[in-house]
Amino acid sequence: MKRISDLKIDEEAIVTKIFAKEPVKGRLLSMGIVKGAKVKVIAHTLARQTWDILSNNTKVALRDEEASSIEVKGIYE
Amino acid sequence: MNDDIKVAIVGQPNVGKSSIINALSNAKLHVGNFSGVTVEKKEVFLKRDIYDIKMTDLPGIYALNAYTPEEQVAKDFLLNEDYDIVLNVVDANTLSRNLIFTLQLLDMHKKTILVINMVDEIEKKGGFIDKSKIEGLLGIPVILTSAKENRGVEEIISQIIKLHKTPLAKNKIFYNEKIEERIERLAKILRKSPHFKSNDVSRFMAIRLLDRDEDVYKMIHDLPIFIEAHNALEKMYKDLELEFDEESTTDILANERAAISYNLQMETIDMEEEDESLSEKLDNFLIHPILGLPIFLFFMWTLFQLTFVLGNYPMNVIDAIFSETSSFLADFLPKGIFNSVLTEGVLPAVGAIVMFLPNILILFLGLNLLEQTGYMSRASYLMDGFLKRFGLQGKAFVPLVSGFGCTVPAYMAARTLKNPKDRIITMLVLGFMSCGARLPIYVLLVSAFFANHNPGNMLFFIYIGGAFLGLIVAKILRTVLFRGEPEPFVMEMPPYRFPSFKALAMDLWIKTKMFLKKAGTFIAIAAMAIWFLSSYPVNDKMVQNYHTKIEQTTNIGKKQNLENGLKAKLLEDSYLGSVGKFIQPVFAPLGFDWRLSIAVVTGLSAKEVVVSTLGTLYAMSGADETSKGLVSKMRQNVDFKAAVALIIIIMIYSPCLAAMGTFYAEVPQWAWRTFYTIYPNVVAWLLAFGVYKVLALMGY
Repeated sequence: MKRISDLKIDEEAIVTKIFAKEPVKGRLLSMGIVKGAKVKVIAHTLARQTWDILSNNTKVALRDEEASSIEVKGIYE
Repeated sequence: MNDDIKVAIVGQPNVGKSSIINALSNAKLHVGNFSGVTVEKKEVFLKRDIYDIKMTDLPGIYALNAYTPEEQVAKDFLLNEDYDIVLNVVDANTLSRNLIFTLQLLDMHKKTILVINMVDEIEKKGGFIDKSKIEGLLGIPVILTSAKENRGVEEIISQIIKLHKTPLAKNKIFYNEKIEERIERLAKILRKSPHFKSNDVSRFMAIRLLDRDEDVYKMIHDLPIFIEAHNALEKMYKDLELEFDEESTTDILANERAAISYNLQMETIDMEEEDESLSEKLDNFLIHPILGLPIFLFFMWTLFQLTFVLGNYPMNVIDAIFSETSSFLADFLPKGIFNSVLTEGVLPAVGAIVMFLPNILILFLGLNLLEQTGYMSRASYLMDGFLKRFGLQGKAFVPLVSGFGCTVPAYMAARTLKNPKDRIITMLVLGFMSCGARLPIYVLLVSAFFANHNPGNMLFFIYIGGAFLGLIVAKILRTVLFRGEPEPFVMEMPPYRFPSFKALAMDLWIKTKMFLKKAGTFIAIAAMAIWFLSSYPVNDKMVQNYHTKIEQTTNIGKKQNLENGLKAKLLEDSYLGSVGKFIQPVFAPLGFDWRLSIAVVTGLSAKEVVVSTLGTLYAMSGADETSKGLVSKMRQNVDFKAAVALIIIIMIYSPCLAAMGTFYAEVPQWAWRTFYTIYPNVVAWLLAFGVYKVLALMGY
């Protein structure tokens, strides 16, 4: 399955599962990154180590580890 | 008889809580600490009619599942303190995300007001918020505000009073019936305990338990009903997780709240999808994969240039005012001890400090601007990959940069790091980020010994060099003391905003006040003590000898030399001279004389004191009457190698007492405290010694 870290810049997707453990998971949930939420990759750093994700009008910075712990599917899947 | 109303102001970070507080008129602001911890506590006192309203501004909190120590403070307050009304501030732009937290607050079923801030931004985009619909759906009063345009702020106060007079309305928020059934069953068990008699409390506690809230779990742990509640809870976890096909009941509740909030937003806000906001356009450049970092470094470089170049003008004016006042008073006041203490001890010392107020204010203004505009979190984003290499994380960037302003708030800013290991490493290397108080020492030494170089560049180099050294030490600490990955990195990047000039001005005013207070009290007393220690005891016989010799000479030049010799001799024999000579062996390998040694040691009380001590010590020894100012006196008395060694010592050794006290308050373990107190001084000495030797070999 696809993870956020597999997306390209400007690509949109729907969150299907969050593998991150607590307390990271709780933090992601309170930022609005929940199952069913639409996310869009705004940017990532050159080495793809840090990601800038837009979800529900909120921009959230994530590390590669967290970005690859969020499973997503395409918008129309 | 006056009526007291206690209000708790809560909200997620970046929703503009402080700008609302700033916009309240006729309010008295009190800044202190939450008891037992060093998290800043802002309290606002207001009087309207017969009501005394006390509002406590809680630290920004994303959810009741506290994540950072600051959030824990807010949560503890909400759970345990006594207050009448919850004032929940949310950002209209990110309403659905904010409402997730509002729903957690509504679980408490206390009198709550929802303040939807920044409505102007929605309206500007042609949007509309249906206030009465939200009120109907949530069952609480809603106020639309724009702190920036000063809209709706006064309504908050009248609504607080109105709500205070009306009885608590019925709860309108209910979850899926499968969950509600469990809540009711669990609440029933809890009600058997006298602690949770009321329906509201037992319901709230039941929800928190289903949300796997460890703090609440601990609360029931020692109660007689614990076994019953625990067994029921275990079964509910299992059943619900099966019924909803989720890993944890926390997720089930999170999904529930997210769905409710999303629907609420959909039903109540009419907003066009934007094409590309200004924030996104800016981010195209500012966090550009290639351009981002150079732009960030350029901002930092500009800040340091401004600090030095712009700060120079008011600095000269202040310097002139103090020296003029000093010499005027020396002639005007009757000769004697008071005159000497004031014009030779206190005034020059305080002047030497106040002179640097402009520099410090410019630096703080810059850091505040970065924070308020939202750029600081971009900087963290840009720096994370880099900092990760040194065993730190992007969020550590904020305390590290604040460290350039003042180490004390920087230690406090480190609280946003949740993982204790990340926090302790960040705090241990924070001292390497040269604080504003060290700036005067660098400025003095740079002007004295690097006169041919661009002082702005030299300062930049000192600051960056210190920071880089700190990173290397962080890496060493991480590999030697802690193994394991740094804490995960999840951080909101708020939209760019125009800074509030009122807030900026307010903050600078507080900084100025505290700085002047420090200069007027602590530093003045320290200067007085140093003046006393350096003026006594007086060897009358020796003075007599010198005076006879001076009278006997007719040559003016020789007279001058003798007078200076007397001054130097007096200082050398003073109490301070003895202390300096006693500790000098420690600093001798670095080429320090007893005066530099004393200055370094007095710098432990406050870094500003280093300059004032040098001022007192060198001004009095006056090697040459024609040379004015401390700069040239330093140049004549200290050699280049020792000056460089001194810069290195100042860069690395222990910060001031206030900072050390803050560290002790933040870190309870004695092992860390001891390590923190010793290691920077050892590193500083070794490095200074190494550089001194290398410079000697290079022929300086």
